Amino acid sequence: MVAVEWCFRLTSVALLHGLLRAASAAPVLEEEFYENLKLTPLPDGRLLTRFDFKTLLRDAAPRAPHTLAEEDEPQHYNLFPLALGQLLREHAVTELHLTLNAGQWNYAAWGQPEDSGVATGAELWAWMGESRAISVKDRWKGITNGLAGLFCATLGGLDVRRTVSPSVAFQPEGDIPSSTPHHLLYAPLPSESVCTENLTPFLKLLPCKSRSGVASLLNPHRLFDADWHGMGVHVTWEEGLGVMVRMNFVAVYNPTRLMGLQNKRDWSFRLLFDRSITRACPVATRSAIHVALPSEGNFRLEPTAHSNLGNIAIFDVSKVQEPLELSMKWPDESEFDHTSFAPSLSPPLTVRRVLTGAGQSQGALAVSLSNTNTETMRVAWVETMPWFIKFYLHTLEATIKGERRNDLVKLVTYAPTSSSSQAPTLLESHVTIPGNTTLRLTIDLEKSFISYTQHPPAAQRGWDLPGGIIAFTSHSSHRGEKEKELREQRIYTPILLVDLPTPDFSMPYNVIIMTSTLVTLLFGTIFNMLTRKFVWIKLHE
Amino acid sequence: MKASSSPTASSLGLKVVLPGLLLFRLALLATPLPRFFEHDHQLSSPLTSFFRLQEGIFLYKNGIDPYAGDVSRVSPLLLAIFSTVLQLPLPIISVLWTLSDVLGAWALVSIWRARSQTVGTKTEGLVAAAYLLNPYTLLPSLARSTSSLDNTQHILCLLFAALGKSSPALFTLAFLTHSSLTSVLLVPPVIMLLLSGPTSSLAAPRPAVISIKKALYLASEYFVYVALLAGISTFVAGSWGWVEKTWGAIFLLPDLTPNPGLWWYFFTEMFDHFRPFFLMAFSIHLLIYVAPICIKFQYAHDPLYAAFLLQGIIATCKSYPTLSDPGLFTSMLTIFPEIVPHLRHPLPTFMLHLHSALLLLLFHDLWLVQGTGNANFFYASTLVFGLANGAAVVDAIWAGLRISFGERGKGWAIAQL
Repeated sequence: MVAVEWCFRLTSVALLHGLLRAASAAPVLEEEFYENLKLTPLPDGRLLTRFDFKTLLRDAAPRAPHTLAEEDEPQHYNLFPLALGQLLREHAVTELHLTLNAGQWNYAAWGQPEDSGVATGAELWAWMGESRAISVKDRWKGITNGLAGLFCATLGGLDVRRTVSPSVAFQPEGDIPSSTPHHLLYAPLPSESVCTENLTPFLKLLPCKSRSGVASLLNPHRLFDADWHGMGVHVTWEEGLGVMVRMNFVAVYNPTRLMGLQNKRDWSFRLLFDRSITRACPVATRSAIHVALPSEGNFRLEPTAHSNLGNIAIFDVSKVQEPLELSMKWPDESEFDHTSFAPSLSPPLTVRRVLTGAGQSQGALAVSLSNTNTETMRVAWVETMPWFIKFYLHTLEATIKGERRNDLVKLVTYAPTSSSSQAPTLLESHVTIPGNTTLRLTIDLEKSFISYTQHPPAAQRGWDLPGGIIAFTSHSSHRGEKEKELREQRIYTPILLVDLPTPDFSMPYNVIIMTSTLVTLLFGTIFNMLTRKFVWIKLHE
Repeated sequence: MKASSSPTASSLGLKVVLPGLLLFRLALLATPLPRFFEHDHQLSSPLTSFFRLQEGIFLYKNGIDPYAGDVSRVSPLLLAIFSTVLQLPLPIISVLWTLSDVLGAWALVSIWRARSQTVGTKTEGLVAAAYLLNPYTLLPSLARSTSSLDNTQHILCLLFAALGKSSPALFTLAFLTHSSLTSVLLVPPVIMLLLSGPTSSLAAPRPAVISIKKALYLASEYFVYVALLAGISTFVAGSWGWVEKTWGAIFLLPDLTPNPGLWWYFFTEMFDHFRPFFLMAFSIHLLIYVAPICIKFQYAHDPLYAAFLLQGIIATCKSYPTLSDPGLFTSMLTIFPEIVPHLRHPLPTFMLHLHSALLLLLFHDLWLVQGTGNANFFYASTLVFGLANGAAVVDAIWAGLRISFGERGKGWAIAQL
């Protein structure tokens, strides 16, 4: 009995010792947390609000893919989101981007967004190093399912039927370790929408949740009432700096709508979020609110900013003693005049993309790219189509004012779909658009006839097709740093809805019965005739 | 050979009819009809569509594997021919299709000559017209469906076999097998035709003397050609990927694009777990007709007739038929004029054909172009079409067997026990 007790004690001491050793073996990394809210009044009377939460794991490196077969070294996080960190370690992800957006970003009125990822629906792309232990594709499966669970989104649908590996348009935003060859996997899910169930897990990943600091303004009732809203999670690694997780939430509010009958563009925290900041997040290294001041018009921003940097008023949340309640008013304006705003933010390139063709089985995709600059522009054009849409590449045609100019399109990748793998079609090409012209690209496509079991439950609603992507590859007027910035910019076109020809969903038994009857009739009659003997019969009368 | 008795019959014959029909067919090309029919599912299936062939050629020329995707399902041989020798502008390609049809008509007339041992009869003009004016063969040709080329190869193969030229016949059949695998069913009747000659004795059947040894030799010659062409195809395509996309498609039906056949809607509506079973059942169903028909009609000493009947069955039951398959069957009827009086139910069969031909057009348009009908309407018309084709085959089998019993005058009727 005593021996047993001693054994037990010894084991527990050994266990404790082991745990302590494990804890001491884990390198204690320095963590930093930054939060920022940026409010930008837009020319069309709307207000762009952008929440940015940055967590930096200083001097950390992504897990080397060749160690996937071994047990991972223990990690200890204080501020870094644990659930996300575990997922990244488990699958050795170097860089990851997830965006969940609702609505279509209005490039003409709101300009190019700070983060290019404004595709409607969900979009996920990740860079992963090759590993002999577990393939990139298997890890991708793990990531999509893990993120689906983490963010309560249907990301599990980002399987092989959605995933492609584009070679242009997506550049790593951070650094990629040169020791292992890396692969990019990209998957859009246009039918996914973002709502409260995604925001709650998002807030859980923040060190102060939504209890204090800038994050306390994230009120789902108000955020999801905005004209456009979306969230993003971006994980990057920079050599010499560490692993950084940037989580952001962007909402484009329409104060004129929120103001009710007054039709004014005045805004306040109370109006936008129905909340105010009562205390700062104690673990934040820096916590600030930036308000971009309009260049013209008589406006009043309250309270007074702690500092100004050019056209930006800066409020330091950590200095706040009483509840912070920002507001901006245009006292001279009795009503916002929607007709007065000039599209000053209009981007150098506008893109339109439509499906043409009236029939149910044949159609065409038409993309028109208008270059409003005087200089020639080179962009990358990327199309990802689900397996039931088939392109006819030989019909790809570029025209300027009806004149055929196929020399302006240079095909980079064409990976056609096949019904056996159900992988999407990937079409990537470089497009040159001369200054002040509109280039029209058309390509014929076929809407496949698919089996009745492959249709979704509400087949007549149609299928959402992902938007096209236009990425700036180089820009003749910009060089150096500016060019790198431009290269990371992408324009997403609106998503499309396509209706496939549908069979009758109530017919399986009928069709099996009727076709089989016909075949049997044919078979029976023919074999009857071939096997039976002909005889003469004497007829009566 | 027996020359035609009257010179007027000869002048009314082929020398006038064939150029006249050629001119008419060329005139049709100038109309907007070819463009209108280009994407019609009844005229070109995913395996025979010229639009898909063009896509395959484009991908092939640009160094992209045409068999990586689903679009190109034509034989690599056609791909090689059309991307090198026949690299022609579209209007000339259309003319080529018409010329191929004219060649088919001429070959059909030649088969008739070999069979009837006559030259310059009135029937020749009828045979040519029945092939060149048959809407079932005319429209797919306007749509530039490669099934028209397949038909020409089919007739040429039968012509070579009827003339006793074994190597050309077997090679043409091997080539045809590459673009349309179902034609492999024609191997037994073609070998029998080579070994027994084209003249008919439907009316006075006696067992044919066919040496098994020679037949096996010819069969192995055919398979050598197929293997050779498969080797060339693999060389052209760069991999074996074409086998799955062209031949495999015939068994596995990966593309459910509607056609006038029986498979597409059946497998659109099929429960997933029964799909492999029914795919197998439908494929084997086609095979089971070959032996009985060949055995029965070897006694009638007419393997050409067996080939004709098998074409009817292929046209009804193959996985990706177009209108040109039943078109070939109905046009071939003209080289067997003696059976016409013995057809079992010619009028109902004709009415069924007329009925379904109109319904097919109408319901296809309503479902896929106007968007007012639904798939069931078109499916129903394909069922009627299947029934019409089946009825025609049944008629022809009856007539082929019935003819040997002749007539016994009033008060007697023939029946089967």
